[in-house]
Amino acid sequence: MGKLYEELIKDVHLQEGLKACINCGTCTAICPAAEFYNYDPREITDIVQEQDDKKIEELLKSDTIWYCSECMSCKTRCPRGNTPGQIIIALRALSQEMGYFTESEKGRQQLYIKRTIGGWILNRGYCLYLEGVGTNGHPEQGPVWDWRQQNWAEVMKRLGANYEGKGPGILRKIPDEALEEIRQIFEVTGGNKRFDKIEKFSADKAKEMEMKLDDGTDNEYIKFIYSINNNNHNSK
Amino acid sequence: MNLDAKKDIWGNYQKEIANDHYFYLRSCVRQNFFPGAETTFLRIIKDELKKDIFEDPAHTTCTGIGYHGDIVPFETTMTIVARQFSLMTENGYENLVPSCITSFGLYSEVIETWDHYPQLLEKTRQNLKKATGREFVLPANLAHASDIIYKFRDEISAKAKYKLINAETGQPLRIVEHIGCHYSKMFPHKSIGGAEYPYVLIGMIESWGGEVVDYPERRHCCGFGFRQYLVKANRGFTFACTKKKFDSMEPYKPDMIITNCPGCPMFLDKGQFAISQLEGKSYGENGMGIPVFTFEEVAGLVLGYDPWDIGLQVHQIAVEPLLNKMGVKYDPEKKYLGLNDKYLGIPQMEKELNTCC
Amino acid sequence: MYKKVTVIGGGIAGMEIAGQLAFQGLEVTLLEKSNRLGGHVANWNHLFPDLEPANKIVSKLKFSIQDNVEILYSAEIHKLQQTNRNFSITLTDGQNIFADAIVIATGFDLFNASKKEEYGYGVYNNVITSAELEEIFNSGKPLKTDKGITPQRLAFIHCVGSRDEKAGNAYCSKICCITGIKQAIEVKKANPGAEIYCFYMDLRMYDRFFEDTYFEAQAKYGIHFIRGRLSEANENKDGMLILKAEDTLTGKPIKMQVDMMVLLVGFVSSKGTREIASKFELQLENDNFLKTADQHLNTGLTNREGIFIAGTCSGPKSVAETISHARSTALIVTDYLKKINNLAEINSEL
Repeated sequence: MGKLYEELIKDVHLQEGLKACINCGTCTAICPAAEFYNYDPREITDIVQEQDDKKIEELLKSDTIWYCSECMSCKTRCPRGNTPGQIIIALRALSQEMGYFTESEKGRQQLYIKRTIGGWILNRGYCLYLEGVGTNGHPEQGPVWDWRQQNWAEVMKRLGANYEGKGPGILRKIPDEALEEIRQIFEVTGGNKRFDKIEKFSADKAKEMEMKLDDGTDNEYIKFIYSINNNNHNSK
Repeated sequence: MNLDAKKDIWGNYQKEIANDHYFYLRSCVRQNFFPGAETTFLRIIKDELKKDIFEDPAHTTCTGIGYHGDIVPFETTMTIVARQFSLMTENGYENLVPSCITSFGLYSEVIETWDHYPQLLEKTRQNLKKATGREFVLPANLAHASDIIYKFRDEISAKAKYKLINAETGQPLRIVEHIGCHYSKMFPHKSIGGAEYPYVLIGMIESWGGEVVDYPERRHCCGFGFRQYLVKANRGFTFACTKKKFDSMEPYKPDMIITNCPGCPMFLDKGQFAISQLEGKSYGENGMGIPVFTFEEVAGLVLGYDPWDIGLQVHQIAVEPLLNKMGVKYDPEKKYLGLNDKYLGIPQMEKELNTCC
Repeated sequence: MYKKVTVIGGGIAGMEIAGQLAFQGLEVTLLEKSNRLGGHVANWNHLFPDLEPANKIVSKLKFSIQDNVEILYSAEIHKLQQTNRNFSITLTDGQNIFADAIVIATGFDLFNASKKEEYGYGVYNNVITSAELEEIFNSGKPLKTDKGITPQRLAFIHCVGSRDEKAGNAYCSKICCITGIKQAIEVKKANPGAEIYCFYMDLRMYDRFFEDTYFEAQAKYGIHFIRGRLSEANENKDGMLILKAEDTLTGKPIKMQVDMMVLLVGFVSSKGTREIASKFELQLENDNFLKTADQHLNTGLTNREGIFIAGTCSGPKSVAETISHARSTALIVTDYLKKINNLAEINSEL
């Protein structure tokens, strides 16, 4: 058993997600990512259960582990009680822990997610805080969304929200004491440590790739990882 | 297709749903995308069903999108979940009702993990104590908001002003129901109906007069995939999934789609818009889309609430064809008005899939 | 003198052992819960690997016991009592059957395919089990879909209810693979134009002539084999079944439209076996079949002296294996009775 596998096996997601795989393929058959990407959850499960550190390191550095959509459809089918989606969670955690995620195009995207979702969680107490997130970056949201963005607070009011208000309600201002508790939780439980790692390894990578990386999302590296797709992700 | 066989299967997956005194936890997606749905849900629970449902302003996200986006470590997520439980008990409640399906799946997953790994439960207690001074107990009952509406579907039906039927022909509307992946795929026995033939929405549809349409890709994920949608480079995956579902349901000519997850209706709604722009294809009648609803919106419609109070104006796919079919009375002039009839302009419309204005 | 044996179960194992013991001069009573003998085999058409007619085997066994074994039909067991080496079985109708040795030959049930919800048995039309296909063969009527047409593309689904922790059975049922290949050949013979696919994980061609059958299926009959367990079946608007599996040999998910699906359902421990085990205080293994004294030399013994096992109530077996097992247990029973008769003689001389 190599060092990487030793780390992996500490994660409860691997313990829950991998018993022993008989390569029946029912997971891949039903997996949306396997339909559209060069992705095969059965193969990943098989590789991990081999406990081959070299292959695991390759996985952690590859695009492969980032295709999963964590829908857990695989869990409904496996006759051995495995859940490839849970194995993926363990692999992604280790990939970020080791800094391997910046070796792949899909893995590098973690910084974008950290700065948006992660930023909203710590600053607002929500995973999403979408005033100002318009159709420039999200054209698929459509013209009604544009109208909403132009009238964000008014539409919120119309629909019974308590936007940025005190007390209960939709998209209320979450009290500072509550936000402080969330921040303390992040500090105590390693949430900040994970965030810092994502930042640090990404900064190293940006330097290596000679791209500018400042705060926020309006800089060269972030725009790059947000949009770039080498079109090599599906063999069809 | 033999419906009776499905009924036997549904019978194997029943669960306790608390009767009253709910501790409500809001959904990040629903608050941003369908605020009217949560307003409508609370209105129904409080005003129609006369139940006690409480919201502590200090509650936060469960971090579900962060957890499934793999930026938030599990230990952090478990502790934030524990904090939500702590708020619940602090306010004198023991029945947890999350609005979000990912939350429901996450709370179920965390509780199940603590059951298998008591040392993680202990660690979480220590973490929460250290970070916030709080203590917590597990909820006595965990039910998703759609489980509650399911439980009281017949009461709602009794008060219904409209049914899910074509008002002109008297025929039941043909309805596709879409269940969020995290409702029943992980823990079938924590759902109504199980993973293969979930019943929670079918029960509502049947009670309110509609006809359920089954189609080959019913169980397929809508395609959110967390990071797959959030990052533009991955977004094709999301719409490939929604397209797959629409191509599969098209021959059945559904009148509407009902969902219970907050994210799914956003993807099924905006997905039709995206597909119309990318492929020039639409799936509804007359070049329009198939209107997509979340269950609270449908409950509100059935009870006769004003569609613009329910918040249907924020849908991209026009709901008017469906409202007209149902015979719902509404004022088209008021669709895009703000509070006190304040004028807010109107959306710039595309030719296809437009909302009449 | 100990010489009474009661055999519980009138399938091929029960009939075989009853006939053997009667031939040895013992007094044999056979209890059968239904109104006919032959168990599952009586429902089958032709047996692998040589397509021997099942009714020929059942007839021969019936013949061997018709004059020398007391057969009680509709016999349901209420309770068992034991005094020293004497057993007394009380039936639900109040009759008492006395025995010096008891043989459990309560057989198996077939897996209830509707438990494999994602395959849609009972929900979709045109999904049948291997047992139902045998019935259709026996009826002499041609195989047709619900719309009355001859299926042109069929899928045989292996491992239904076996090797499946979700379905509650982790074990392999052994004989379903060869049954599926046999049936695929039979369907192809009746309709040479049909396309037939077997969806399997591993092919259990474990016994004599099984590999030959597999070879024949491929080389002579063009049966296709896809190494991928069926993950899900759906029905489309035209009533066709849409199957989702992975072709694990190419590593790609596949979707296939078929007219009809045959589910190769596995063995489960029969209701009768579990009831008897409870009433007679016999141990079961985790797979719910009867626990045998060991896995090698004593597969005919339960945990209780004087109570023996014949056939599939202790696990999946082919017809040949069932007959062999029943025969070997017959020998063990006669040895046991000899032994206790000797002991009784010695005791009475003291």
